Amino acid sequence: MSTLTELMTHDHRQCDEAFASAERHARRGEWEVAHAALGMFARALNTHFGAEEAILFPRFEQATGMTHGPTMVMREEHRELRAALARLQQAIAERDMDEYAGEAETLLIMLQQHNMKEENILYPMCDRHLQAQREDLALAIGHELAGAAGAELPQ
Amino acid sequence: MRSKCASVAYEPLYDRPGRGPLQRGRTMRGMQGAAVSAGQRSLSYEATPPFHVPLSFFLAAPLFGVAAGLYLLAQPEALASRWTPGALALTHLVTVGFMLLVMFGALMQVLPVVAGASVPAIRPVAAGVHGLASSGAIALASGLAAGRPVLLQAGGGLLGAAILLFLGAAAVGLHRSAASRVTGRDLRIALIGLAVTGALGIVLVLALSRGLAVPLVELANLHAGWGWLGWGGVLLAATSWVVVPMFQITPSYPAWLTRFWAPLVLAVLALWSALGLGGSAAGTRIGPWLLAPLALCFAAATLWLMRRTRRPHPDAGFRTLQLAMLSIAAGALCALAATSLEHGFWPVAAGVLVLHGGFVGAISAMLYKIVPFLAWLHLTQARVKAPNMKKLLPDAPMRRQLLLHAITLPALLAAASGHAWAGRIAGLLVTAEFGWLLANLAGTALRWRRVMGESGR
Repeated sequence: MSTLTELMTHDHRQCDEAFASAERHARRGEWEVAHAALGMFARALNTHFGAEEAILFPRFEQATGMTHGPTMVMREEHRELRAALARLQQAIAERDMDEYAGEAETLLIMLQQHNMKEENILYPMCDRHLQAQREDLALAIGHELAGAAGAELPQ
Repeated sequence: MRSKCASVAYEPLYDRPGRGPLQRGRTMRGMQGAAVSAGQRSLSYEATPPFHVPLSFFLAAPLFGVAAGLYLLAQPEALASRWTPGALALTHLVTVGFMLLVMFGALMQVLPVVAGASVPAIRPVAAGVHGLASSGAIALASGLAAGRPVLLQAGGGLLGAAILLFLGAAAVGLHRSAASRVTGRDLRIALIGLAVTGALGIVLVLALSRGLAVPLVELANLHAGWGWLGWGGVLLAATSWVVVPMFQITPSYPAWLTRFWAPLVLAVLALWSALGLGGSAAGTRIGPWLLAPLALCFAAATLWLMRRTRRPHPDAGFRTLQLAMLSIAAGALCALAATSLEHGFWPVAAGVLVLHGGFVGAISAMLYKIVPFLAWLHLTQARVKAPNMKKLLPDAPMRRQLLLHAITLPALLAAASGHAWAGRIAGLLVTAEFGWLLANLAGTALRWRRVMGESGR
């Protein structure tokens, strides 16, 4: 990976795959598999948020001095996304297809709008401000993200 | 390489320390009207305009579609040729009244997200653009239908002012933005397309109303080409580069396509304009032959990507977007046919396919995602427990309305035969299609109001 933007964008797409797998199985009424796939999505999403909140954002804040800037807004959106994920997990636990479909649609659009802001604006800013430490940073984040990967998604 | 100045201007202040999200939202909105640093910018939901700003555009736009349907009912032979006053009026009710209004509203919403550019003084700018564009669309369509020079000039003037006001505000926002990715660049190209389309339109208004001596047919073709591809097509493509892979969970568009497509469209349109206005007979014919393959390429790439979606059971919006891409491809082929076949059907069919099947379809499908999401977002921001999107906009009426849209398309193509009965059926269907779209969107707005009311806000 040559830039933080590419690394983090690639991980966004990996999360999308897990989300789509859960949605596919829920639509087929395969609740057990859907539950497992959603668990993988939740792990991938929380690991991604964790890597940002524990590694990337603090370095960005240190480099720019902006502690109440874009990273604060992204943390707030992470909080809202975690709440939306909890509602999705509740719907799958209750095997409520209508509720699941509605919550999944809402989460997906919210998540993608969040991703768009990061990919178009925040990550390029990180690449610019953290240029000198980019390689080390990418290694540390990549190591963190790899922790959530590994298990095969249900097809 | 981005200049240091641009990046510094972009970043200084995102927010005030020690404020919660709601206070932050008020601060951001307040700052837009206050004397603040040019660099102040937000990456937050709160940087987006109040809900009523885009909503007012989205709810007004379908009314122009209803007006187009009613006009076709009254003048059922209007689509017999692209040059009848009725066909010109219908085209502008759809392109200016429906498409332009939605695009203005959507751009005010998405510029901060995809390009990091906030439109300054959003409330007065939005009110001004809305008022000018709506009244301009009414005046222009009336002037074209009735052949009244004074109305034509009023329409051209009002629309020119609306476009200038919007472009000026967007240029300020984009100038401050440091976002440099492909989507931001293509949005800028689309805005150039809008400016040229508007300028050519005003020259045409002067030609029709004051007898300005210009090559009318060539200019009208250039005006249509810039509007279809330079403005509408590039805007649709710039949106699709982002929206299709993200929301349909597909692979990305090929990098060569996103990198070169929009600049190539701009270059071809510029070449065609230079040759056409330079009086070259071959030059005037070359445009469609260069532009149609570009349109086909975009439509084919989008269809190919959509087939690779990871999402299950494509919904009605997905099917409508597929139909839109097929229509754009078919419309491009009809535009080519129109260059060599004399029959008046081909240019009208091209217009119906591109405008109704392509743009109206894609815009309707996108509105059904945007409006309930914005309702949900604004409820969440107000700390109100928001119903999920499918409760804010139920699937069934949306699905039926989009099915009606698909049925209306062949009816409009039949109306291009010039038979009155076909025109009446198409008029009825168009009226119902846009009326239903308005009812569905207004239903979401009313649910949003009700939930806000119940929460005591």
